[in-house]
Amino acid sequence: MIRTFGKYARLLGNLARYTLTRELAFRGNFLVKVSVEVLWLGILIAFFRTVFAKTNTLAGWTEPQYFFFVGCFFAVNGLIETLFMENCNEFAELVRTGDLDFLLLKPIDEQFLVTCRRVDWGTAPNVIMGFILMGISLVQMGWQFDAVRVAIFLLTFLCGTIISYCFMLLLTSLSVWMVRNQSLMEMWWLFSSLARYPKEIFAGPWGAPLGFIFTFLIPILVVVNVPSNAMVRMLEPGIVLLTVVATVILLWLSRRFFQKALRSYRSASS
Amino acid sequence: MPIIEVEGLTKTYRVFQKRDGVRGAFQGLFKREYKDVHAVEGISFSIEPGEMVAFLGPNGAGKTTTLKMLSGLIYPSAGAASVLGFTPWEREDAFRRQFALVMGQKNQLWWDLPAGDSFELLREIYGIDRHDFRATLAELTEILGVEALTRQAVRELSLGERMKMELIAALLHRPRLLLLDEPTIGLDVVAQVAIQKCLRAYHERRGVTMILTSHYMRDVEALCDRVLVITHGSLVYDGPLSGIVDRFGRFKLIRLEFEGTPPDNLDRYGDVVKHEGPLAEIRVERSEVAAVLGSILEQQTLADVSVVDPPLEEVIAKVFKEARAENDAA
Amino acid sequence: MTPPDSIGATMPTNEAIKSSSAAPSPTDSGGGEPPIHRRPWRTLRKYATIFRVSLSERMTYRSDFLIGTTLRFLPMVTTILLWQAVYVGSGQASLAGFNYNEMIAYLLLVHISRMFSSMPGLAGGIAREIREGTLKRYLTQPVDMIGYLTSYRIAHKVAYITMSFIPYAILFFICRNYFETFPDPLTLLAYAISLILAFMVGFYFEATVGMVGFWFLEVTSLLYIVMTLNFFISGHMLPLDLLPQPWQGILKALPFQYMAYFPAVVFLGKVRGMNLVYHLLGELAWAVFFLVLARFLYRRGLRRYGAYGG
Repeated sequence: MIRTFGKYARLLGNLARYTLTRELAFRGNFLVKVSVEVLWLGILIAFFRTVFAKTNTLAGWTEPQYFFFVGCFFAVNGLIETLFMENCNEFAELVRTGDLDFLLLKPIDEQFLVTCRRVDWGTAPNVIMGFILMGISLVQMGWQFDAVRVAIFLLTFLCGTIISYCFMLLLTSLSVWMVRNQSLMEMWWLFSSLARYPKEIFAGPWGAPLGFIFTFLIPILVVVNVPSNAMVRMLEPGIVLLTVVATVILLWLSRRFFQKALRSYRSASS
Repeated sequence: MPIIEVEGLTKTYRVFQKRDGVRGAFQGLFKREYKDVHAVEGISFSIEPGEMVAFLGPNGAGKTTTLKMLSGLIYPSAGAASVLGFTPWEREDAFRRQFALVMGQKNQLWWDLPAGDSFELLREIYGIDRHDFRATLAELTEILGVEALTRQAVRELSLGERMKMELIAALLHRPRLLLLDEPTIGLDVVAQVAIQKCLRAYHERRGVTMILTSHYMRDVEALCDRVLVITHGSLVYDGPLSGIVDRFGRFKLIRLEFEGTPPDNLDRYGDVVKHEGPLAEIRVERSEVAAVLGSILEQQTLADVSVVDPPLEEVIAKVFKEARAENDAA
Repeated sequence: MTPPDSIGATMPTNEAIKSSSAAPSPTDSGGGEPPIHRRPWRTLRKYATIFRVSLSERMTYRSDFLIGTTLRFLPMVTTILLWQAVYVGSGQASLAGFNYNEMIAYLLLVHISRMFSSMPGLAGGIAREIREGTLKRYLTQPVDMIGYLTSYRIAHKVAYITMSFIPYAILFFICRNYFETFPDPLTLLAYAISLILAFMVGFYFEATVGMVGFWFLEVTSLLYIVMTLNFFISGHMLPLDLLPQPWQGILKALPFQYMAYFPAVVFLGKVRGMNLVYHLLGELAWAVFFLVLARFLYRRGLRRYGAYGG
């Protein structure tokens, strides 16, 4: 078990190194990617600054609290994009061309190879930017250090990332059955829009039921909400537990679904 | 103990029939027509360790599909197979460590990196001991004559060199079974021969079992003692290459050498395939060879005469053509 | 993560097109035809054929479309909920002249605007053709590049809008309460014109950006940045009126507002009378400006292209 883990960790390290070598060969691309992401963060900040010019709280979140949330979302999503997004996005293409063959032939877990093959270094700075934004908002709100909160934040941050990964894997698996490459990037952008806002906005006659569905049945809402809440608002042990349980269930479920998808793979020739 | 045993292997696909035009496309949105394609229909055979076997058949006959089922890439619709003692489509790591699949139409090496980097990655993936790795790599680059090229970016290599690199990549983990799908496709004759040589040399050294599909009869003639002929999903012949002629060649060639100019009315004996100077070749049904030869000898004055089999390539092309005609008729 | 609009610049999105996959084949143009300008009806028929083939290609993929549409609703849902929270939080009925219903109606309407004005893959496609030299086929075949791309794009837009009609109709029906008044016929006419002009501004703007590829090979990065920025400055995220001065004034002077903000406020009846006419003329002026600029750059670019042998 530990040996297997060590082997996969070493493999991941090597893959990351190779992709870095490659990425450095195309430095221009890297810089553009980073600047676009910086620009996008700037737009998000401009957007919410405009909104908070009109209101003091948004669904019970003050401005600094809210920016902590935005930072957290940026960090989680950045991590997902750096490690998995490009790989998953390529999956449909691998299926279409039949190049998935090579991944299936290797004596390595298929899910690992499909989802962790490459590291997209261009989006790695997003994680840092997210943490910087979180740091700034902590200072602005005069946050008092609390080790318990930090620990729970780190735990649920990790869980949130894993949950995102599972949802992405589920969406990725779908592409085996799709005729044409529906861009996973777009699907992910649309789907992850659910995680982009505090769950308190899910209010009202139809908002509240949706909030329930996306917290308990399709728990995408917990991804950013739980770690942010635990850090800068109230600590709710119940929902933290739910997040951990959901992580385990989703890991299992998405893996099953992925394997089922592979069974339908046809391996196109030429 | 056979290394591969296949029993009634079958693969059926459902494909969506696209209709023409805007209307058809609209209809396709609501109601779809599917067609079942029987890629492989109940194939059975077994292969002993160390054999070199070729799959022959026209395009779309099911060779590649069979190969892909044997390597566990696709799941069969029915039937069973045991490869190296494993069921291939369960894709156990222990199974995948022991064989390799080389596809002439695809490449697994990283395009922008030197092949050496891809090899290093494969070492990691297969968990090859560093010492063994170096020894194998040295041996393979020597056999293939590409020692100097492993540090060059793959995209800068010629097609033949790239294929050699692909072969090395496939052999680094010393597979016991090597599956080759069109390994020489697109290569010029020189490169083809080079690849054949390497494969034979490797086979002699390591006694690896090989299965090969190829369009080029030369590959098959050079490498394989045994041939499985597959036409629309079924196995129609299993035996030595030369046996194909006995089995499928309905005709023989009678080669005649005249002392003067041959007469013009040779076509009464059979199909005249060649008529040059004093030489002529007549194609005759196997059962009539004796009778035709008798009457020729009786009626003509000859310098020499011989009866030969038509070229193998021609026979196989004919088998495939007939199979296709049958398929179209069905 | 940047919004899909900017992704569309380099990645094929649901609506995106790899222009290389739809090369004008010889059958479309009929090899030895006389020059286009002498036979206008044949030209028309040719582009009609391109149109038909492209349309049929678009309709084939059902599952992708259904999943795509379902997912497409999600951001709409969260947007409505977010602004509900904003209005509740502010305790005000009207923000920058928009009440809550108008705000949601606006944010729904910008999707219609963007449906017309977004051109995923256009500039990237042109730049790729320049880079890879496939552009040559427009020179050897009797077909004009911008003309070809226009008919191709219109076909895709028609197909896309047709396919999206039902889901959007359902969406607008569900959200009908956010629309307090239905615009009068004249406003509707102005709205239709503003949308068609939005298509033209969007198309020729992106074509212009694509033509820059004649001078800078790495034009996709420029595009990437422009499209990300466009998401905000076109008013896609919020009505430009919400922004403080001078930003509001600056953004309203730029052409980008016509790709999202302007048609939406026309529909809501926020621009009326002569002001509406002036703005429509302004939109037309921008469309013509980019049309001329794109053609100018194309011609200059071709000369340059020919100079180093393509």
